[in-house]
Amino acid sequence: MNPEHVVVLYLYAALFVVFGISVYGIVIKPHIVKKLIALSILGDTANTLIILLGYRTLPKPWPPVFPELEPSLELIEEFTKLSVDPLPQVLVITAIVINMAVTALLAFLAIQVYRLYGTLDFRKVLKLRGW
Amino acid sequence: MITLGLVLLAYLFSIAMLFTYKAITEKDLIKAVIFSASQSVAYAIAYAVLLAPDIMLAYIAIGIGVYSIILLYVISKTERYERG
Repeated sequence: MNPEHVVVLYLYAALFVVFGISVYGIVIKPHIVKKLIALSILGDTANTLIILLGYRTLPKPWPPVFPELEPSLELIEEFTKLSVDPLPQVLVITAIVINMAVTALLAFLAIQVYRLYGTLDFRKVLKLRGW
Repeated sequence: MITLGLVLLAYLFSIAMLFTYKAITEKDLIKAVIFSASQSVAYAIAYAVLLAPDIMLAYIAIGIGVYSIILLYVISKTERYERG
């Protein structure tokens, strides 16, 4: 096992630790705004994990952009050898915007819960509803 | 061979881990939003290191600007401190 693999393994482990902390925040923390913060962190961590899957651990990887307008066959071969994978980036840029829309909807719901029940603690809301 | 990009990514993800822990355990919600925005800064630089500059441009605007504005609006309409 060479040291490069250790660093890559550490990157995945760090992202999964962030995953674990934010899932803990969503499940255990009773405050709704705190759940909202944890949910946004969870979505961003999932996006970062997807982008990390497309990264190449070369000495000098290329960004997924052709440097010429009409690329020749040799340039395309070089590009496929050295460039990072563009497909995860295309998927993630949609997911970021969808996450923002979900956060805005849940923020509106949090304000409405505070107007109706006078608290944002989830346990107190459940108690007020008689559960 | 360990490249500069891998070292930078390890550093940035460690910062993100630390700020996520601080954001989840903080009782003052405005401080929690600030920690969440700092974690977004770390992720934005990590996207640039991962050679996804288009995502970095979108994520700086959304992750640092729009998320903070939405959450601060919710906190200003409701309560600031998390009790219990």
